[in-house]
Amino acid sequence: MTEPFGGIELMHSGHVGCPGCGATLAMKLALRALGEQTILVIPACCWAIIAGGHPETALKVPVLQTGFATTAAAASGLRAALDFRGERDTTVVGWAGDGGTFDIGLQALSAAAERGEDFIFVCYDNEAYMNTGVQRSSATPFGTRTTTTPGGGGKRTGKKDIMAIMAAHRIPYAATASIAYPEDLMRKVRRAAAIRTGTRFLHVYASCPTGWGFAPQHSVKAARMAVECNMFPLYEVEDGTRYTLGGRGGSPVDEYLRMQSRFRHLDAGAIARIQDQVDAAWARLEKQARA
Amino acid sequence: MRQVLEGSQAVAFAVRLARTKVISAYPITPQTHIVEELAKFCAEGSLDGRFICVESEHSAMAALIGAAAGGVRVFTASSSHGLAYMHEMLHWASGARLPIVMAEVNRALGPGWNLWMDQTDSLAQRDTGWIQLYCEDSQEALDTTLQAYLLAELVNLPVMVVLDAFFLSHTFEPVDVPGQEEVDRFLPPFAPKFRLDTAAPCNLHEMAGPPIYMEMRRSIQAAMERVPEAFRRVEADFAAHFGRSYGAVEAFRCEDAEVVLVMAGTMASTCRQLVLDLRARGERIGLLKLKLFRPFPAQAVWESLQGVPRIAVVDRNNSAGAGGIFAQEIRAALCNRRERPAVHSFIAGLGGRDITLGTLETIYRRALAAAAPAPESEWVELDEELAQS
Amino acid sequence: MNQETMDAFKVPLFFSRSSVSTESHRTGDWSFIQPSFEDRTAPCSEACPCGTDLPRVEALAAQGRHLEAWQAILMENPLPGVCGRVCFHPCEQACNRGEFDAPVAVHALERFVSGQARPDPAPGRSAARPRRLAILGSGPAGLAAAAFLARLGHACEIFEAASEPGGLLRWGIPAYRLPAAVLAREIEAILALGVKLHCGAPRDGSLAGFDALLAACGQGRSLGLGVPGAELARDGLELLRAARTGPARPAAAGARAAVIGGGNTAIDVARTLLRQGLRPVIVYRRRREDMPAFAPELERALAEGAELLELHAPLALGRGRAGLRLTLQKMRSLDPGPDGRRPVTALPDAPVELLVDEVYGAVGAEPDPAWLELMAHTPATRLARCSIAFGPAPVAFIGDLGPAPKSVSEAIASGKEAALALDAWFAGGAAAVAALAACRVGAGPALSMASYLGTGRARSSRPVRFAELNPAYFVPAERAEPPVLAAAGFGEVEGGLEPAAAEREAGRCFSCGTCNGCDNCRTFCPDVAVRLELGARRIDTGFCKGCGVCVEECPRGAMAMGAEEGRP
Repeated sequence: MTEPFGGIELMHSGHVGCPGCGATLAMKLALRALGEQTILVIPACCWAIIAGGHPETALKVPVLQTGFATTAAAASGLRAALDFRGERDTTVVGWAGDGGTFDIGLQALSAAAERGEDFIFVCYDNEAYMNTGVQRSSATPFGTRTTTTPGGGGKRTGKKDIMAIMAAHRIPYAATASIAYPEDLMRKVRRAAAIRTGTRFLHVYASCPTGWGFAPQHSVKAARMAVECNMFPLYEVEDGTRYTLGGRGGSPVDEYLRMQSRFRHLDAGAIARIQDQVDAAWARLEKQARA
Repeated sequence: MRQVLEGSQAVAFAVRLARTKVISAYPITPQTHIVEELAKFCAEGSLDGRFICVESEHSAMAALIGAAAGGVRVFTASSSHGLAYMHEMLHWASGARLPIVMAEVNRALGPGWNLWMDQTDSLAQRDTGWIQLYCEDSQEALDTTLQAYLLAELVNLPVMVVLDAFFLSHTFEPVDVPGQEEVDRFLPPFAPKFRLDTAAPCNLHEMAGPPIYMEMRRSIQAAMERVPEAFRRVEADFAAHFGRSYGAVEAFRCEDAEVVLVMAGTMASTCRQLVLDLRARGERIGLLKLKLFRPFPAQAVWESLQGVPRIAVVDRNNSAGAGGIFAQEIRAALCNRRERPAVHSFIAGLGGRDITLGTLETIYRRALAAAAPAPESEWVELDEELAQS
Repeated sequence: MNQETMDAFKVPLFFSRSSVSTESHRTGDWSFIQPSFEDRTAPCSEACPCGTDLPRVEALAAQGRHLEAWQAILMENPLPGVCGRVCFHPCEQACNRGEFDAPVAVHALERFVSGQARPDPAPGRSAARPRRLAILGSGPAGLAAAAFLARLGHACEIFEAASEPGGLLRWGIPAYRLPAAVLAREIEAILALGVKLHCGAPRDGSLAGFDALLAACGQGRSLGLGVPGAELARDGLELLRAARTGPARPAAAGARAAVIGGGNTAIDVARTLLRQGLRPVIVYRRRREDMPAFAPELERALAEGAELLELHAPLALGRGRAGLRLTLQKMRSLDPGPDGRRPVTALPDAPVELLVDEVYGAVGAEPDPAWLELMAHTPATRLARCSIAFGPAPVAFIGDLGPAPKSVSEAIASGKEAALALDAWFAGGAAAVAALAACRVGAGPALSMASYLGTGRARSSRPVRFAELNPAYFVPAERAEPPVLAAAGFGEVEGGLEPAAAEREAGRCFSCGTCNGCDNCRTFCPDVAVRLELGARRIDTGFCKGCGVCVEECPRGAMAMGAEEGRP
């Protein structure tokens, strides 16, 4: 049967994702867009567990689990093998968390992008090492309290701009997407799958009720609020130079921040600083879109 | 066809003859000639393969795991720090039961930075579940690489083909290069026992908790225990096609030896000469060359040393705090046997320091003269005072 | 070595490779709360005097299924063409969309949908023991009562004193608001249900051969002005009646007329006079905003050229030199009293004289005394919109004779309530009548015929408030306004929507409390636990972890979280 916005269901129930898990929602939607001729490469991350322990699998497509740092390298090797087997129509998709993309996985990702490897790299970003207990990553936003940034004002540095890094590699397509905008997410996945001339990168916002501290039912709402207050703007970059922005959201950041206990310690000064950072980031994006 | 080949080239020729499809590589001296040769083959089209210039050895192995899981024949080469960097993924390759073949050029680990011959790098990976085969000369390097594919695909375990840095990798020797047709008869196209297949989806390398992990580890061990037989079959087949075989171990003039020197790598060539020289003078000396190190060929070693009162194991490596690794393994293999030789352990030739006929003779004489083996490995031909300062 | 030899060499190969589905994990055990699909009452349905299932109507109309939309209205209201023109649309005031951008133009949609080709008769059922009922009066209450009773299997005969049926619909509402053809078509459809109509057949309140009687005679007697010279004033209702039947009045170019009153009748009189060439001024003793007339109607009247003189009370009427002299007292408004009405009191100013050619009274009406007497002598139980004297031979007082507010749609509701109550009484006595409460729409008082027949979708009585919707999924869109046609003559003033505009407007409906298949629940469930099977959505409680995302993201409040059954 066809699911809303098209595609078929390729994820099973019964997986161990937390109630309201944004990462499982992201996978569900992405697979609907990708279809059965897909092989996923998954490093250590929440999805390595959610994909199922022996002898189970939560997915109806093949999965290659791989070492934490190696998603892009394993995907490169897999792609080469599939090409020799004549399976050109199978899409290879790396599916890594923010740790496996921004931190330990960045080197291999950069190399693969530079080589122009033919696969999609999806980073589902829950903004910390959630699987191991909410430790900070370089994707954790400024001011966030995590188990390794527990004190005072939380993380002292800002979120790494992974999209700028990927754009600098001049890959054919990079885009941000959000579970709150499923049609847009699926459109971008389909677009990425259709391009075969280099690495495609998708940065997907995957809210995490468990790690961010809000009730599970607000998972999609949090994702929507992040876009609406421009903390996670939706945009696409072609060939690292042509930026297409979604609309600018009209909300201030504080309502989004206050709904999550990971930010609840922030005072007005910190929130104002975050607002400034968000506004400046948007201004930069606009400048790039105009260029 | 007979050609003068560098050891590295010999390996590359074998990889091409095996119709390898995906090669990943990150440069490190002295493995570079292997991968450069393969890059040339791919570029000129004599090898129908994809050469992936990865950004690290860790990624090199990860890429091969991806490709092998995808169902094609793969290859990489590394050495020393590169191999050490790869360590995590070496474990992964064997746990994944993938028939990956790698050439490993034995090179010292730093600091101090050292590019030259030392066995510690490959031996430090002895727990990773890889089959390890050590080569003495260029012919053996070519032959062993070809055999490695067949062996790996029989038992679904990865294979490391080990060469001495420079002494083997960068020396030229005449080599018999088999013809492609004959190789194809020896080594059929890769038919993976499992692979990532959208028509039969599965989740590979998933979590395996306490209820099941042990069985998976036992499976690896059980497969390892089949390797000696598998290797015999491979060698027999190889001999039938190409007329050469080496054996998991080779006993040279051990029958009535007073001392048998035990070693692996090119120093075995030097030792052969010493054995010939000393035997000509009536001394009862023998050589046990070790080719197969993992799985450790305990039975073959013991059988070869029947009636030998003492052995002198020459380790071109050291495990700090435990001594020469070959010696440790041999002691462990023999310790429960009722009749076993005294194991004298010697360490020589680290970091490319030459092992000469003189070095080996010194070792022979010390073993012969000693009433009992020293408790620690004996280090030969070094500035002990400097080392102790 | 060949492949066969290789295959024969067996080696243990047990490693991490999985292909059994995770569906062996019943993750539904994780939670103690679960969502459910809860069809709830939309506030528009609750506000509609007929309890029409408006979300369903809108959904069908939005999909272009206009005939089915019409059927959906006819289930609850036999006069949609009428209501689509003259109802004061309380549904729109209750519409949750009003808190988002602008209420859905339900009124215009009802009119559009009722303009379709003839639909099938509204469903009903046969009665175990059909009764014969006499209905006195063929106004909206009587017609509605007849329609519902006929659908419930009873034999109805309407006795109408006038020469044509319709009551106020024909005689009290001008043709430019309700064309005769529209009314005729709807009455014909009611008669086609098996109702007998006798025109020119007045009847008293005796039962004589009938099992029950419904008095629906309305308020046919206009109230007098109650001031000296009142006999000089003409009856506003009479003007409206004449405009429907008699020959067209010769144009009295520019003649001035005063219309005394503040209700819809006064407005209708004024607008009729305009069309007859006069210049009417509406005289009302309280403020404009206190007028009981529908505000849009007043605005139309003023736009068409009527004048309004508010806060002026008539003191006396006399003959002037060329016409009539109307003496008026200026009033001022006081603070609202305990009943909420704002009384007025005379200002100390001297009276004002208005010289006009004609004066019309439209200050209210009352039933014929015979009916008042009947009501006085018939102890009746007061229901929400009608009074019924239950017994072996019940008598019901419906429409303007009943306790409900005086409007067309309230009258229809009144007839409907009486019909259902009588059918219940015949079938199961007082208990059955009491059980009618289960058919209330929301908090009532409207009754649902679909519920009564047992065919309606079960809707929880909790109406959906705007705060329970998720407006993130709605895009502001302009409300469609039907065109205003020519204001001259007695042709319809308010036009209808074009089909495309109607469908778009119906699409603005939030479908409060009713699943319209947007599938947000299925899209956003992280556990693939919302299933769609054979067109119905359900929660797979074996896997649902109770996260509640579906309920949160349901745009229309058609889901609720609750304690799982069987769990403490």
